[in-house]
Amino acid sequence: MEKRMKIKPSTLLIFLAAAIFVIVIPNTNEGYSMMIVNLGLIYAIATYGVSVMLGMGGQLSFATVSFMGVGAYITANLCSGRNGINMNTALALVIALLASALLAFGAGLILFRLKGTYFTFATIGLVQVSWSFYLSYKPLFGGPDGISNISTLNLFGFSPKNYNDWFYILAAFVLVIAFLVERVRRSQLGRSLAAIRDNEIAAQTLGINVYMTKVVAFTIAGVLAAVAGSLYAMHSQFVSSDMFTYERATTYIIMAMLGGVNNTAGIFVGSVLVTMLPEWLRFMQQYLQLIYGIGVILLMVFMPMGLAGLASGFAKSLKRKLYSKKKVTAGKEGPKQ
Amino acid sequence: MNINTIVSLSVNGIAMGMIYALMAMGLILLIRAIGVMNFAQGDLLMFGAFVTCALTVDLKLPLWIMIPLALISFAVIGVIFMFTVYWPLKDATYPTATVISTMGAAMALKEIATLIWGSLPRSMPPLMKNPKTGKAAVLNLFGIKLQWQFVLTIIVGAVLIWLVFVLFEKLYAGRMMQAAAQDKYAAELLGIPTILTTAATYIIVVIMVSTGGYMIAPIFMVSNTLGSLQLRAFAGVVIGGLGNIKGAIIGSLIIGLVESFSTIQFSQYKDAVVFIVLIAMLLVRPQGLFGEKVADKA
Repeated sequence: MEKRMKIKPSTLLIFLAAAIFVIVIPNTNEGYSMMIVNLGLIYAIATYGVSVMLGMGGQLSFATVSFMGVGAYITANLCSGRNGINMNTALALVIALLASALLAFGAGLILFRLKGTYFTFATIGLVQVSWSFYLSYKPLFGGPDGISNISTLNLFGFSPKNYNDWFYILAAFVLVIAFLVERVRRSQLGRSLAAIRDNEIAAQTLGINVYMTKVVAFTIAGVLAAVAGSLYAMHSQFVSSDMFTYERATTYIIMAMLGGVNNTAGIFVGSVLVTMLPEWLRFMQQYLQLIYGIGVILLMVFMPMGLAGLASGFAKSLKRKLYSKKKVTAGKEGPKQ
Repeated sequence: MNINTIVSLSVNGIAMGMIYALMAMGLILLIRAIGVMNFAQGDLLMFGAFVTCALTVDLKLPLWIMIPLALISFAVIGVIFMFTVYWPLKDATYPTATVISTMGAAMALKEIATLIWGSLPRSMPPLMKNPKTGKAAVLNLFGIKLQWQFVLTIIVGAVLIWLVFVLFEKLYAGRMMQAAAQDKYAAELLGIPTILTTAATYIIVVIMVSTGGYMIAPIFMVSNTLGSLQLRAFAGVVIGGLGNIKGAIIGSLIIGLVESFSTIQFSQYKDAVVFIVLIAMLLVRPQGLFGEKVADKA
């Protein structure tokens, strides 16, 4: 029983880093640079969806942007007074969440009739369909002009006045969602997904309902994307279709791969880094995309498990040096529940 | 809608379908040979269009010098692509890594093209010109007017596809490539140099795709957005059936025709119509048109 209460040093380190991030960033940034950080936090929420699908379940899905669009446009329609509706924003967020859960569940039921590569191709189809509707259908999605004048978030009377206020709200959202994703990883669902990722047939023989497990994971990913989309709409107070293209979908996958696709802290670092890099490398704007593309290839060659893989490898070698004279510890990362 | 429009729309559709078929066939060759989805397929097409455009417009080379030069440069691009994007990752522990690196390659190709040739779309003269007006030549078939470029695209595409079939069915080199694709380890034991067969696959794929880029360059403008055409090829692969080359070709032709005919009614939603057909198809026949339902093996 005592062992259960033991907190791993790495967890402590992550919480410490998160605390420093939340204290330092809003006190050193404001205005535009704060907005970029906030966008990074919003993308992190959507990237957690990618992590559930790709990291836990091994299913490569591009559908993130489709469901981000669902969340964003539901919020935009309910909170901008377009059709005479101007709803409470927190309520709109909940509605967006429920609607996207239903849609993602339905889409998952259809798409998972395919496996592996062909599932991925079909999600690209979904992205193209949703994008061309977002771009062209005026009554619901505002057409090429998008939808503007969306009200900002109002959580029980507290409403952010500038980007620094937004930062605290988004950080809270990211923290809660990161915690939930970490819980899912250790739940029966997470373990089933890991089994499916490693060997689908073996998972089936163990009595896992492969099809439904995948569909549930797809639904979770869709809901996370929709929450990100809804928050994006309220944060930018403007939505247009160029947020939901196929190219954007690849960015979320790259964010997840940079951080470490199966690591909760890594996903966050990856999303913020990919969002911030263009700002840091502004002086070589012309070559930015080229560096980015080559960087992705090099990343896959040298550290396919992302920054988190690099960090855990470093921690392991450090541990080996420190404890090499003491007893050899069994297992990889200490006791698990 | 009279017979005239039906015929010309079908020809346009089949021509675009041929382009998608070239890409789709390349995709399946790569999936079979090395098990990697290539997300840079469309950008290789874009690059091919830019290379041929530079050779014909900037250097003003005649066709008989231009074609061998272009083929050599496509082969070189194929080898470079293989050794940068696939070779360092062939023993990757995480299979998705190879796929993601092709996405990175897609971005890099797009940017290299922009850095070399600028971001403005370039125009390319059609292969067959009307000697009097200097515009694209028109084929007059029993009163139905067809653009020569579309007709030529169909012919070139069909010939390329036929050549690849001959290679794989009839020639010894093709059999070696098939053996290497089916079981790399056994093929190596038999003395087949798998590095050469993989390189050959990449060269064939890049030549097919880039020639597709050359054929559509006069129809569209040559710009770095041509890469998005690959999404239709993906749809063609899924409609055709799992890993089936004939299916992928027919699937791509269907996609081309659907796209072409959907411009009559809903040109804004052309993309949506194409992919709704795909999703409807998945509902009815998830294994694709020509796929067979096979149980998985452990």
